[in-house]
Amino acid sequence: MTQPSSTPSFRRVSRREAILLGAGALAGLAPQQARAIVRLDITQGNVQPIPIALPDFVASGEAETAHDVTQIIASNLQRSGLFLPIDRAAYIERNPNFDYPRFPDWRQINAQALVTGRLAPDAGRLKAEFRLWDVFAGQPLAGQSLSTSPENWRRIAHIISDLIYARLTGDKGYFDSRIVFVDESGPKDRRVKRLAIMDQDGAQVRYLTRGDDLVLTPRFSPTTQQITYMSYGQGEPRVLLLNIESGQREIVGNFPGMSFAPRFSPEGQRVVMSLQQGANANLYVMDLRSKTTTRLTDTAAIDTAPSYSPDGARICFESDRGGHPQIYVMGASGGAAQRISFGDGIYSTPVWSPRGDYIAFTKQNSGKFAIGIMQPDGGGERLLTEGFHNEGPTWSPNGRVIMFFRDPGGNSGPGLHTVDVTGRNEQRTPTPSFASDPAWSPLLS
Amino acid sequence: MRTGLAISGAGHAAVLLWSVLMLVARPYHVDSTQALPIDVISATEFSQITSGAKNALPEEKPKPVAEKVGPPTPPPDDALAKLAAKEIKAATDVPPVPERKPPEPKAKKPPQPQAPADQIADVLKKDEDKKPEPKKVDPKPPTPPKKLAQETPAFDPRNVRELLDKRTPQRLASAADDINNKPFAGDKGAATQLSQNELMAMQARLQQLWNPPAGARDPQELRLEVDIQLKPDGTLAAPPNVVTGGNSPLFLAAKDSAIRAVYRGQPYTMLRPEHYEDWKEVLIVFDPRFMASY
Repeated sequence: MTQPSSTPSFRRVSRREAILLGAGALAGLAPQQARAIVRLDITQGNVQPIPIALPDFVASGEAETAHDVTQIIASNLQRSGLFLPIDRAAYIERNPNFDYPRFPDWRQINAQALVTGRLAPDAGRLKAEFRLWDVFAGQPLAGQSLSTSPENWRRIAHIISDLIYARLTGDKGYFDSRIVFVDESGPKDRRVKRLAIMDQDGAQVRYLTRGDDLVLTPRFSPTTQQITYMSYGQGEPRVLLLNIESGQREIVGNFPGMSFAPRFSPEGQRVVMSLQQGANANLYVMDLRSKTTTRLTDTAAIDTAPSYSPDGARICFESDRGGHPQIYVMGASGGAAQRISFGDGIYSTPVWSPRGDYIAFTKQNSGKFAIGIMQPDGGGERLLTEGFHNEGPTWSPNGRVIMFFRDPGGNSGPGLHTVDVTGRNEQRTPTPSFASDPAWSPLLS
Repeated sequence: MRTGLAISGAGHAAVLLWSVLMLVARPYHVDSTQALPIDVISATEFSQITSGAKNALPEEKPKPVAEKVGPPTPPPDDALAKLAAKEIKAATDVPPVPERKPPEPKAKKPPQPQAPADQIADVLKKDEDKKPEPKKVDPKPPTPPKKLAQETPAFDPRNVRELLDKRTPQRLASAADDINNKPFAGDKGAATQLSQNELMAMQARLQQLWNPPAGARDPQELRLEVDIQLKPDGTLAAPPNVVTGGNSPLFLAAKDSAIRAVYRGQPYTMLRPEHYEDWKEVLIVFDPRFMASY
């Protein structure tokens, strides 16, 4: 065998070089001191109302309006239960600059948020600007400029309240909305019931009917300025549509027998209601444009109080087909209904939350009434308030607050109350007289 | 030669084929056991962690305490008296004596069933152990070995540990007049690393100050991670850096509440300056999903 002619030539590596190479390799292999970042897990918090400072808006013009606007914002935020407006007597910086507040002064009184604002007339309109500040970070969080006619200054205050609420809680606000309810006055045996509408904080009450007929269960349309309600006028009880601005009324459909418990669908084009036939009552939906009516349930039971889910795909309603009134859920076009309430007692007036995650209801059990919520599959039932005669829940537009009416009995009359969806912060809504059957409008803006 | 080559090749191929088919490597099957988290620390770290504080008050030590109360000690005179009596026996009692020669300096009792022999052993080593302890232990060690020798069939579950222990008994539980009820006071160690106490204090402070949005529809959106850089005095060196991303209104509100809590917590004086290298950067994970109020 012959040797190959070209061989690679290897130089002999000296011992010193070998040692150095080996040491270098070992140094490279030596473990590095890895420095890990310390990690801290915070799994518990301290849920408290956020302390917020609301110095008066600066007005170039009428100072009263500026002060009132600030007051409305402060009372809105306080009523929600999630904020704690700081008493202005404690403020160190009395008139903060709109763009450069002195944060150390506000940190000292432990304000976590600060609102600065100003109002100015602008070519016949009212212009409002505000800034929401994070005091401890020293940064602006939100700010906006709004313009409206001067008599709408209340709505500006409500809109600003909504913007502050949304930025600090992550949820949409609910302050720029209205409540329609049944105003009751007169002696207990001869009550005069009128439809009334007001701002959600109880201001600007306006009556929509004169009180000639008995009115019940008014409901807002989600899209238009219309209300549907039930009226015991002449003859049988009827479902009516009322235009808020024009005051015009029309009868929804022309049905033999009673029709009651009407509610709009989420897109505002249909009204679902309960029609009586003999001893039963079934659910029907009527299209407002084509005036066609579709039957949804067909049972020998009383099916009433229907409410659409926010996506319009399902309807929850009250039915006594199982013996006692219970809550059922079915598809929006009818079909098989599934029972979702299983506790002791009678479940009635189910209302689907605008957020879609809960159904509110009235529960009656051994003489006590309670307002509660449950998930649309029936789980997680929770009672928010209990007492004698709480009834008729309605949801705020952001699905966080429920308004209902409570009748304490005796010579007194019903009043409107609100409670947070967590069961906390029950408040009374002021009304000029007794009030019942509230319905919350969607956000006006 | 060709045929031989062919036969050899065929034979080799057959063996290889058989081995490929038969000797299949099967992964070793291990029963899954629960993982036990362990941490490796060096001996110096361990001694530092368990070292007592240098400026601790001196503890009074009135008497030695032990795990169990020993029987009343016999007066030392007895041993001397027995010494006189036993010395005569020692000459005759030869076998046990050589066995005692190689025992260790401490009071070790070989497992001999004879009680008198043990006493001789003690007498022989009397010069070495002047402490009263071995004497106190004396009356007892003979009895357990004796029990073992005599009562092997009777199984006493309380002595399982002693039964299982096949080592020569060196020192059984020390006895004294008082039981030791003092708790172990050795947790003042100054470890080289950031101690758990400092981190827990910082965690408690942040939990007190953190005000997450309540009643949220999707609590999992509220989980976020904030990376903060601290100066040696415990204040923030730079604005907190929120690592998790998101832009929903709920996320923004949660981010604000986390950043606000970090700002309000300044200065973080619970972190000791000598450990600054360990805590100059901290990753805080805010996660309200399991809070009770939700």
